[in-house]
Amino acid sequence: MRKNPKRGSAWHFLFVLLWAAAGCGRGESPVVKIGFVAPLTGDQAPHGEDMLQGARMAIAHALAEDPVIPGHRLELAPLDDQRNPTQAVAAAKKLVADPDVVAVVGHLNSSCTMPASAIYHQARMLQITPISSNPQISRQGFDTFYRTCVTDDLQGPAAALFAVRKLGAKRIFILDDMTTYGRGLANEFEKKMGAIRRATGYSKDESTADMGVIIDNRPEILGHEGITQGDKDFTAILTKIKSLNPDLLYFAGMFPEGALLIKQRKDVGLDATFMGGDGLFDPVLIDLATPEAAEGVYLTTIGSDIHRIPTARAFVAEYERTFGPIGAYSAYAYEATSIAIWAIRKAGAKDRQAVLAAMKTLKDYPGLFGPQNFDEKGDSLIRDVGIFTVRTGKFQFVRTASWE
Amino acid sequence: MSPLQLFLQQLANGLTLGAIYALIALGYTMVYGVVQLINFAHGEIFMVGAYLALTVALVVTGAPWWLTLTLCGLGAMALCGGLGWMIERAAYRPIRAAPRLNALITAIGMSFVLQNVVMLLYGATDRRFPALWPAIRWQWGGVTVTLTQVLVWGTAALLMVGLQWLVMRTRLGIAMRATSQDLRACALLGIPVNRIIAMTFALGSALAAVGGMLFGGYYGTINFHDGYLTGLKAFTAAVLGGIGNIPGAMVGGIVLGLLEGLGAGYLSSQWKNVFAFVILVLLLLCKPTGLLGERVADRA
Repeated sequence: MRKNPKRGSAWHFLFVLLWAAAGCGRGESPVVKIGFVAPLTGDQAPHGEDMLQGARMAIAHALAEDPVIPGHRLELAPLDDQRNPTQAVAAAKKLVADPDVVAVVGHLNSSCTMPASAIYHQARMLQITPISSNPQISRQGFDTFYRTCVTDDLQGPAAALFAVRKLGAKRIFILDDMTTYGRGLANEFEKKMGAIRRATGYSKDESTADMGVIIDNRPEILGHEGITQGDKDFTAILTKIKSLNPDLLYFAGMFPEGALLIKQRKDVGLDATFMGGDGLFDPVLIDLATPEAAEGVYLTTIGSDIHRIPTARAFVAEYERTFGPIGAYSAYAYEATSIAIWAIRKAGAKDRQAVLAAMKTLKDYPGLFGPQNFDEKGDSLIRDVGIFTVRTGKFQFVRTASWE
Repeated sequence: MSPLQLFLQQLANGLTLGAIYALIALGYTMVYGVVQLINFAHGEIFMVGAYLALTVALVVTGAPWWLTLTLCGLGAMALCGGLGWMIERAAYRPIRAAPRLNALITAIGMSFVLQNVVMLLYGATDRRFPALWPAIRWQWGGVTVTLTQVLVWGTAALLMVGLQWLVMRTRLGIAMRATSQDLRACALLGIPVNRIIAMTFALGSALAAVGGMLFGGYYGTINFHDGYLTGLKAFTAAVLGGIGNIPGAMVGGIVLGLLEGLGAGYLSSQWKNVFAFVILVLLLLCKPTGLLGERVADRA
């Protein structure tokens, strides 16, 4: 059977007509989009939701003002990377392929931000990560990469110094979750501990000084091991740690595993102080671990207590009115999105290259954490590490920490 | 802690994990024994069991802990048993005569369905599992044992003995064993084969539900994708013990739990799965039918 060529072309004509009509319907006012990627499903979704709400608020604030680009409507394009590097790369490729997207805010996990940053760099697209803190990401030399938080080569040392000086830690065991973030942070912590150990010497015991008893005051690393993300049973490794009799257990990882470690350490009777990084900073941690087990846990955060920063007061009040208690990363996502909007506004055109050029002129941006500037690697120059502890089921700010 | 105390403590940890694996492995092995199907949705049934126990616990409030626990256990068992029966009726029975691969693919599809239904109903994030029993700890010569662990061991042992009695001594058990030997001959002799197979699915699912409840109570958190890895481990345990063999599934579960516990405790926690699976491969190389496996060649 032969096809009627005339009828074929008629169908084709109709199809093109319909397609054009559909396009016209949508395209009344052209859009300019900011991509957003974080885990929105899975165990780390609470963190991702906090970030998404922060980003949405920044967009809402921008919509209340003049259009960012005359005649264009600003939109957020949120995608889910499920904290999975493979999904992160897929999301990045999707954003890069969309000509309406001119900048991206994301991702959450360093292991996702790392491979995705190469894709954004290739597409000359501005990327601002709110909170991926692994220092290696900015050392790749991508001029498209910016971040609004402190890096782990400051967070790790700050934790080590606090552990030794304020908690008096002498016997330390290190655990990490074998991700880019966890292993990186744990290595920075261990490196600083080594430096402290070399700098600290021996001292004489006062009570038995005449007998010449020498006390070793140096902190000691008893071991450094990895756990698997998504695993549930850590009793075996915790029992092993207990047998080494440490006084501090440092865990570099995220809150789902952190909560299980905090809970199970009580079950095996390990009484060492538990300390962690910013990945644990989520109220869900205390809920999952139970408040009793979480009592007295210490953790560092990439930034000071948001409630104590005067420039962030209005933002915090509005956020808590709209969404309830502010999450650990909400403010960073707001800051990153606001800066991306600023750059698009400055560029004044739906052009990735122009947005990137505009970003490079940023100086003293009036952000939530004070005047925001970036160094030549794209890392924020606002460098505060906060220390928090859990008291009666709530995070309580202790102090800002120094890393030197 | 002396080396002996440490060893005993690691043994206790591994035994707890192993008992949970064993409870799930029983479902794999029973179903395989009767219809030669590897029911890959079984891990998901275990996860659904945990969520059902959670739901019952949230409904029943104010009762003493042992009553809540019993209600959660029985409720989850009944509901999960019903679910297992329904899955067999709706998904597996219509294709029983089809080639075995079809049923296997159906099972994988079923597991996706269950995962996504739970995700839609309960959300994608970790849920805290309420403490169903008090946190009591005992010290025996430097070894710490929690009430949780005792409950896991006790429940697992009780259910295994019960199952063994059911399979070896009751009419239903005899019919199940007969069906596993020759389905067609049983049907000719007037044994209600369809009902026996459905009962096997329901029984296996009910055991998985108990495993799910203990798992939730032991670790304190559950997630919709918890069934995948735990189910895979339990399937491994069933193969290790000799698939189709009920005491084998129990032994396999406990051996796998001990291997993981000792691997993490003495070698390295990041290599514990590698260690457990290397031992497994070596064991199966020496004894291809599993630890207590029968010769399955003449059954096909």
